Amino acid sequence: MNKQKGYWNPIFAGIILGIALFGSFMIAGQGMGASGAFARITAELSFLYDGSLVDNAYAAKYLKGNALSNWTVIEVFGIFLGGYISAALAGRIKQSIDRGEDYPAFKRLFWAFVGGIIIAVATRLARGCTSGQALDGAATFSVGAWIFMLAAFGSGFFFANFFKKQWKGVN
Amino acid sequence: METLYPLFTTGAINGNENFFWALIIGIVFGLILERAGFGTSNHIAPVFFFRNLRVSQIMVSAILTCATLLTIAVYNGILDFNQIFIPTTYIWPYLVGGALFGLGMVMSGWCPGTAVVGFATGKLDAAVFLLGVMFGMSVYFDNFDKIADFANSSNAGRLTIDKLVGGDIYTALIITVFIGIGLSIFMNVMKSIRDNKGEN
Repeated sequence: MNKQKGYWNPIFAGIILGIALFGSFMIAGQGMGASGAFARITAELSFLYDGSLVDNAYAAKYLKGNALSNWTVIEVFGIFLGGYISAALAGRIKQSIDRGEDYPAFKRLFWAFVGGIIIAVATRLARGCTSGQALDGAATFSVGAWIFMLAAFGSGFFFANFFKKQWKGVN
Repeated sequence: METLYPLFTTGAINGNENFFWALIIGIVFGLILERAGFGTSNHIAPVFFFRNLRVSQIMVSAILTCATLLTIAVYNGILDFNQIFIPTTYIWPYLVGGALFGLGMVMSGWCPGTAVVGFATGKLDAAVFLLGVMFGMSVYFDNFDKIADFANSSNAGRLTIDKLVGGDIYTALIITVFIGIGLSIFMNVMKSIRDNKGEN
């Protein structure tokens, strides 16, 4: 485990995350979010090139005002800052690509891109991701959060072997 | 005692103050996610191989901690739980969305929140993943009319555990604790089976 030097014990990290999540619910009435911010950023950027997006069946709801003037968008900007500060203090800012030994970088980036596309569609169907749906939902006793998690982890276990070579320490 | 919380929805703080807190809360989340090891997909993907249980351990302990604190706040009468945002449950879209999500996660090694941390710490694969997410969002917008009926099907409303099985928030907490413990046992059993196989 000395490979993870400088990282918190996972149970400790979870308890601290749970306390922060509680604080978020107590202040804003909502918890951690991520995918919604990217839906909004995409809507705002696309709108700059194509004004007709205001009539889009899905994106119209984001474009009633400035799509970026939103709690989750600001919070995600905070996650970026917090992640940067923490990594900088730990000396972990480094340009790199996470992948298994001998796995070609371009293949890794290709799967990262395709996975991103699939995840975007998944989060729109599921109204959120690991944070806004799974974590927040389960912490607030939502049945949907457990349906989502069951399906996501079941599918992850099922497809895992196809992507084995990409990762360190799974063989 | 007066229900003062959530501060924003009860009107105790205004929209600008809520946005200010959004930034602070986000920074705290970012710090925690980075220290938790979620700035690298080498800590995330292995959970799907039962080799490193960081992801499930953090998720279960965060869920149980937050759920317990929320229940205490309700018990003390300071929190109006009806004002907490809970996404509407759409059963089939959640099953299909979840299955796609799991595939995307083991393929890319990221989810949207952890990728923000990965991107902040210089991970090129996280940046490319987020570009993929934005491309995927735009694909979804452009094709939404074709799948709207499915996406809005099997609407079960704001369905919480206590509404499903009967009881109150305390029932829901007890069931959540049991699910969390059950999941932890399952993950640990799978990991020990995997470890005992002697695959390096």
